[in-house]
Amino acid sequence: MAKKALEPELLLQHISGLDSLEPCICAGGFGWVYPATIKGTKEALKVIKIDRIDDPTIESDLIEAFIKEQISRVRREVDALNKCKVAELVKLGAIDICEFDVGEDKYLAFSEEFLEGCDLRKLILQRYSPDLNEITSLFRSLLRCIEDLWSNGYIHRDIKPGNVIKTLDKSRPFVLLDLGIAYAVYETSITYKASERMPIATYRYLAPEMLQPDFRDRIDYRSDLYTTGLTVFEFAAGQHPLARDSDDMIRTISRALRQPPKSLKQYRPDLPEGLCDLVDGMLKKKPALRPANIEMLFKKLEVMS
Amino acid sequence: MKLYAQHGASDGKKTIQGLGKGYIDGVIFSPRDISSKKLRTQLDLIEESHPSADRFFDPQYYAGHNVSCDNPRFGRLESCEEYGKFFQQRRRRELEQGTSIIKEDIKSCLHFQSETKLTGLIGPNILISRSFDSIEAAIAKNFIRQTGPSAAELRTRIPVYATLAVSREALLDKKELLDFLTDITVLETPPHGFYVLIASRNFDARTDIYNADVIAGWMLINYTLHLNGFAVINGYSDVLLPFLGIAGATAGATGWWSNLRTFSLDRFMPAGGGRLPVQRYLSKTLLNRITFFELDQLRNAYPDVLNGLETDALYRPDMGSEPERAEEIYQTWESIQSLIRDLSAKDSKDGMKKCNQAIEAAITAYDNIESMIRLDPKSNRNHLQAISEGIRLFANLAEIGGATLDSR
Repeated sequence: MAKKALEPELLLQHISGLDSLEPCICAGGFGWVYPATIKGTKEALKVIKIDRIDDPTIESDLIEAFIKEQISRVRREVDALNKCKVAELVKLGAIDICEFDVGEDKYLAFSEEFLEGCDLRKLILQRYSPDLNEITSLFRSLLRCIEDLWSNGYIHRDIKPGNVIKTLDKSRPFVLLDLGIAYAVYETSITYKASERMPIATYRYLAPEMLQPDFRDRIDYRSDLYTTGLTVFEFAAGQHPLARDSDDMIRTISRALRQPPKSLKQYRPDLPEGLCDLVDGMLKKKPALRPANIEMLFKKLEVMS
Repeated sequence: MKLYAQHGASDGKKTIQGLGKGYIDGVIFSPRDISSKKLRTQLDLIEESHPSADRFFDPQYYAGHNVSCDNPRFGRLESCEEYGKFFQQRRRRELEQGTSIIKEDIKSCLHFQSETKLTGLIGPNILISRSFDSIEAAIAKNFIRQTGPSAAELRTRIPVYATLAVSREALLDKKELLDFLTDITVLETPPHGFYVLIASRNFDARTDIYNADVIAGWMLINYTLHLNGFAVINGYSDVLLPFLGIAGATAGATGWWSNLRTFSLDRFMPAGGGRLPVQRYLSKTLLNRITFFELDQLRNAYPDVLNGLETDALYRPDMGSEPERAEEIYQTWESIQSLIRDLSAKDSKDGMKKCNQAIEAAITAYDNIESMIRLDPKSNRNHLQAISEGIRLFANLAEIGGATLDSR
């Protein structure tokens, strides 16, 4: 069943506190985003549809658990954003989580700050070539997010160019969005994409260990370091270190598991060797081989910028 | 990279002389072989004469847990009252029932050390004798996890190292080794570094350590810990130290007896007797030791076996190249220091290249030598294949230079 964005007029009827709402500007696996004005301030309203399962062969308690998990996921995102204070993570807006029904369908909504800028995916498609300062600034911003999330017991699990905004604000040049599939290390089970029996996250941006059968036992922020490596690499080089547009999902996953990526040096010989080595190091297949001492990483980046 | 004296019985003036000559950068004391009173005197002496020398103390806690025989030789570990505060013969049942005993033992051990003139403190641990997938490994992991917090409680400014003691058997399963390393490289309160020991079945079993899988595993431990910001001191690493250096080792140690060159719990078991081993010469070209009489035969016929270092003079041709037994260690220390310099590189990739060149040169030298004389089994070239294959395996495991992933 294809998901269709709800009309702003309909949302205005169900969600209180909205001054006005513009048409949907972004749709993804998480739901839809609408620019909204709330108490005179521009914010981003996130609307999430809770998937239904209309298969009579599936037991009702399983369906119930599935729905519950989707709701928990949204609550987890809001909880995480409430706990994490680092400037490089998107901030919550004025509208707290609200649930509403449209016909037979259940929806959740909440608001976040509206960030003026452009996501990295669009910049990469525009063949934008960042300089050293921008690359190290992005690297540092993502590390700060990972550090803050981990200290609160979360991993992001969906760091990718499409979830990072290059803002116009010099005090926080890059902001990480979408904690929709963030994982609370000691509380939750991993969310699975029911149709594909694999963890939710864009498959081009999955850490190799997430594809191992026993990954739940050992998951930690090094998975986010891997996707940070991918994001910084793609932003700097203009292309993903492993995935190719012509590849299907299986081939992409197979590359993530087995193929050593090319070095960033090959795409950006103008960048310092130390920086390329650091990004390459993040892309090691085995988590233990990724430099995980964040303090040390900040120091190394400090020297380079 | 630094080289330390692995202290043991009959030190005499070896450590002080080694420091004085600049052959070593410090010492790792052995409580089995020195009383706490003498330890303090020695530390005072070293601090006074060589203030920049590093001073460590291996608490040898593993001996209390892992040595199970009728008449263990714990020496002063057992007889010295002060060591009794931390040296406990803990049974597995005690250690697996939570972390309170572990915390207590770490605290006592670090507290004792902090009241001496050591420059680095080493936390206690047991030896992982069989597998990383074992209760022992879980206990060892708890010791590692608790070392940092215990040091923090002690409020000491002296760097604290956690002990990671592993049998060569446990190193063979690379999947389990990697999982273990994954766990210990992200700690809430990490120690400054690790004191790594790789145990052989006995200190004379050369093939136990000179085995490609063991060398690769040992290098991988150094590489992983180093890239996560830990300092790594490799006890009993001897001639392998320069190779561990390319993987990121901070320091290593070796001593004057064969049981100080290879780590084994045999050191704490009743001695089997026997004659003193023949003195040997460590040839940098061969990456190995040969007997003094082999050196005597070769020094004119194939002078490349000589290192051309100061300590060559200890093997006097007019004495049949036989050195004073007490002086043999200086030649070892000076040669290893020199090898470390020769093989040091800007990164692991470059280091591996240099090591491979050194191995190639050693193969050529052996080709020449073996046409001249028949070598003693311990002097032969068997180690070269193990080192060479070990480096290749390590590169693969560490994903260096586009290596693929056959270990998973």
